[in-house]
Amino acid sequence: MYGNTGKIVYINCSTGKTEVVSLDEDVYKKFIGGSGLAAKLFWDYADFDADPLSEKAVLIFTNGPLAGVPLSGTSRMSAVARSPLTGALAESSCGGYFPPQLRYAGYDGIIISGKCTVPSIIHIAHGSFNIVSSEELWGKTVGEAYVKIKEQYGERSRTLIIGPAGEHGVPYACILSDAHHAFGRCGLGAIMGSKNIKAIVIEPHQTIMKYFEEQKVKSLIKELTPRIKEYIISQVLHEFGSAGNLEGHMYTGDVPIKNWTSNFNEEMAEKLTGSTLTEKYLTKTGTCAYCVVACKRIVKVDEGPYSIPEGPGPEYETVAALGCLLGSSDLAAVCKAGRLCNEFGLDSISTGATIAWAMEAFEKGDLTEKDTGGITLRWGDMPTVIDTIIPSIARKEGPLGQLLSKGSRLAAKSINNNLIKYTAQSKGLEAPMHDPRGGGHGHALAYAVSPRGACHVSTAMHFMETGACNYPEIGFEFDLEALTDEKKPETMVLATAIGSIENSACFCQYADRSLTFAEMVGILNAVSGYHYSLQDALDAGWRIYHLKRLINHRFGLRACDDALTERMLEPARDGEPQGIMINFDSMIQRFYELMNMDNVEGVATVDTLHKYGLEQEAAIVWKKRK
Amino acid sequence: MGKYYKDTEELYTIYGYFLDNILKDPKIGSKLAKAGIVIKFVYTDPDAEITIDLKNPPKKEGYYGTFYLGKCDIEADVWSSQPADHSHRFWHGLENPIAGVAKGIIKQGGKVTAMLKLLPVIKPTFQQFPIALKEMGREDLIVTK
Repeated sequence: MYGNTGKIVYINCSTGKTEVVSLDEDVYKKFIGGSGLAAKLFWDYADFDADPLSEKAVLIFTNGPLAGVPLSGTSRMSAVARSPLTGALAESSCGGYFPPQLRYAGYDGIIISGKCTVPSIIHIAHGSFNIVSSEELWGKTVGEAYVKIKEQYGERSRTLIIGPAGEHGVPYACILSDAHHAFGRCGLGAIMGSKNIKAIVIEPHQTIMKYFEEQKVKSLIKELTPRIKEYIISQVLHEFGSAGNLEGHMYTGDVPIKNWTSNFNEEMAEKLTGSTLTEKYLTKTGTCAYCVVACKRIVKVDEGPYSIPEGPGPEYETVAALGCLLGSSDLAAVCKAGRLCNEFGLDSISTGATIAWAMEAFEKGDLTEKDTGGITLRWGDMPTVIDTIIPSIARKEGPLGQLLSKGSRLAAKSINNNLIKYTAQSKGLEAPMHDPRGGGHGHALAYAVSPRGACHVSTAMHFMETGACNYPEIGFEFDLEALTDEKKPETMVLATAIGSIENSACFCQYADRSLTFAEMVGILNAVSGYHYSLQDALDAGWRIYHLKRLINHRFGLRACDDALTERMLEPARDGEPQGIMINFDSMIQRFYELMNMDNVEGVATVDTLHKYGLEQEAAIVWKKRK
Repeated sequence: MGKYYKDTEELYTIYGYFLDNILKDPKIGSKLAKAGIVIKFVYTDPDAEITIDLKNPPKKEGYYGTFYLGKCDIEADVWSSQPADHSHRFWHGLENPIAGVAKGIIKQGGKVTAMLKLLPVIKPTFQQFPIALKEMGREDLIVTK
């Protein structure tokens, strides 16, 4: 086997036993790796009746086949489970330095089941896995635990760590890699916490990787690296970080403000954009393994109430979720709130979105001091957000902490079903910081049909709609008008396959923007020997998408769950998209038609599933239905 | 030759009038000046070159920058090359510059991030470009969707 190692480790935390599972090459060819392979393993190993935070639940980490190749944006991995936040398939992707080490250790993934009797870490060294008691780390913040682990296992060890939020089972707790890179979404940190796993630590292994075509891989790396580095998007990311175009997004109406009640704020555009972050607080840039883009921010706020020592800085999503969405244009406060989310191990998108929902509900009188334990919620009140709300969410403390730690959908339901209208989520996953009403109507479709819920990275729609990529070799060479539904379902069909490939081959969606589709497939073939034609690769992408939909079907989700909330579909009140409606229903119906999906069951027809080699999976889901 | 401009002189006449307007506009001009860079636009069909100096003190009073039609000696911090027709449509707000780069229609070099930062600032000028054409009696060059 090339690229991949063909080996997955299955760890039962209840018994402490580990088992090496060998996978056939055919499984990799069908599901690529990363997110696709994890979905297949989830299908095979998950107990679909298990509560996401129960002992029976599984948590799966899988590398992309390119992890470990010294090429920008390819050393990434995926994590998959059932989300405690949504009840649907949870998936999240992360870069950093852990994925290459897992590959060099000889493995493509880890399946974790059961529950350790005491707080523990999974320690990987010399290619073997051990569960080690680590009660002294429980209760520590991510940063504190990271320092202790480094002291014990050495500076060169790499880590996946949860914070107090994961320990307390907050359903949107995240997992931090090396205290900076995040498996941010869907509450995977809570699942790790429910298994009493504080961290996974891998010690450095010898760099060994076998490529299918050694020379071709080397020449592709040589050819593509300068192009990736010089691409305009890479330059913006390097200089200003992922918030580099916040100002530009603001002028299109893409940035949601004050819980999606506004689409334009000039002051926020200037004060929160990436260049301001660079000028005021950046001390240096950070990066993932082998990446020349270096989009990560290392920041320090020297003075004032929001001073923080040098450490990880906010990305675009964090800046918008903990700034614009909360009605604040204070960048120092955003840095501190983002740092707190990292330390507690909270997804900054869901944290910001849930607080923003509460602020609006409070303003309207639907949420009162009785619900909040006497705490007044006001737009832009960052001292309360930082000193009171975020810590109380992470520890589920007090009425407000307990309420908001549920996430926006469940919090709204627990007060009054009618309050769901203020939420911005799909399937219970809070929407990321791109408002389809201004950013592009195709985003609305992408959010709705994404298996994990509102997500802008599960498909390539975000970049296709904004014109940042162009794939004439697979029929995508037209310009899209952002604020219409024209050609969006057709684009979404391709975007679905491309997104599945990106998340399964684990290409970084920033670093791969300058690559053609043929080049992406080319590097995949040269490393792994998949022998994909362009059509084979697209088919693998659609196969993976359909499999994820089948998983969700087994969790009880149907087409009616591919929905957006009232707030996300009402006409924008100001800015560029003011007054424009999204033709959501027609887009989604057309998408189902094009994808041969049943518009009630929300999964592909039997014939379509057979076409993609999902006969056994189809039999289970469609037989159950009959 | 492209679709809109019959020759370089015509292009300079139109862009000269337009740039004269926006570089003395207090709202747009002052924001442009904050960029503090020299930008060179290179056009093809017809071949032309325009340099906008937002770094050095403006040569004319009441202006926030200086523009030069044709080759000039000022060293540019950033340059952008594209067909004149594409640029003409861009100033109407009808072309996505990111897509232009992705498709290889626009080529850029130097401090491109500084130029990208200007995109939100120049957005209001998309309404002014057709107005400028009308004022010049060149309604024939106004492009609609």
